[in-house]
Amino acid sequence: MSDGSPPHDRVWEVFRQEAEGDPMIHSGNVRAPDEELAMHYAREFYGRRQESNRLWVVARDAITELDDPDLLKPPFDRSFKRPGGYLIKHKLEAAKARAGAAASGEGHE
Amino acid sequence: MSENAPELSGPTRDALAQLLLGIADDEFVIGFWDSEWTGIAPMLEEDVATSSISQDEIGHARALYEMLAGLTGQDADEIAFGRQPDAYRHAALMNHARTDWAFTIARRYLYETADTVRLEALARSSYEPLAQLTGKMRREERYHLMHLDTWLRRLAADADANSRLSSALRSLWADALAIFSPVPGEDVLVRGGELPEPMDSLRARWLEQVLPVLTDLGLPGPTPEVLAAGTQDGRTRRTDDFRWLHGEFTMVAASERGATW
Repeated sequence: MSDGSPPHDRVWEVFRQEAEGDPMIHSGNVRAPDEELAMHYAREFYGRRQESNRLWVVARDAITELDDPDLLKPPFDRSFKRPGGYLIKHKLEAAKARAGAAASGEGHE
Repeated sequence: MSENAPELSGPTRDALAQLLLGIADDEFVIGFWDSEWTGIAPMLEEDVATSSISQDEIGHARALYEMLAGLTGQDADEIAFGRQPDAYRHAALMNHARTDWAFTIARRYLYETADTVRLEALARSSYEPLAQLTGKMRREERYHLMHLDTWLRRLAADADANSRLSSALRSLWADALAIFSPVPGEDVLVRGGELPEPMDSLRARWLEQVLPVLTDLGLPGPTPEVLAAGTQDGRTRRTDDFRWLHGEFTMVAASERGATW
């Protein structure tokens, strides 16, 4: 860290997966001097009650952050960027029906 | 646990009870000593880690006391909290107060490494309930050992911490060897395979594993005098430090004997 804070002040962000295949969800953070202890502490704070299937431990200073409002919240109307004007509901239903018919032939739910 | 436990002869049961009592008391007492770091460990995260590891040890003690209670027809809580200090059978290593962080890490490192060797042997016990329980304990102890190894290495790398760690190790070696003090009736257990190897050979394996690590880190092993000294009373010597801790951990249970919690 470049701010001169003591080494144990390094912050590590922890992401948690509850079950195999679930998304990794940001859970919080721990302070630790290095990756090794960060892993131990992540385990204690976000895994000691058997609530996690997998943890990602990421040094906060390794994260590239983007929060520029000109890039993320520009002032002009952006509604034309959203897919709202295009109704795909009926197409989706038809596709599901087709997939359902095909799948039931193979004994799937 | 007692319902499906195999039948044991009287001498085997008595010796097994002594073995279980020693291990359970080790886990119980070190769990209480180190839980004293709750709120005052070097940093908040370590506070949670130390407390959680200490809780694990008390959980292991509980499972062992329950197995013991099944063997002897006693009550597990009564074994844990109902004895006078002189009736505890933990190794002399657990006779000392928490002291400073380096002392705690030194003691804990010696304990975790010895416990690893002991559990590895007991996972091969012919007494099936014990083999199963130690198998489960080993999976939790794996993290304990990782954590202690991490701390030992980082303290050893700092000049001041290294000298504190070294003096703690020098003062603890004799009492740490007591983890492998002979158990009364040990030969009966070794013959029956309940204890797959004598304590002496477990002690030798432990030293083989630990001494090279300590030497590499510039930390002291036991002196030849300490190694030569007997550890016959290693699980019966008690101290004022322990008598104080005993007063602390029996306080609530003693406030109402036989209460249901």
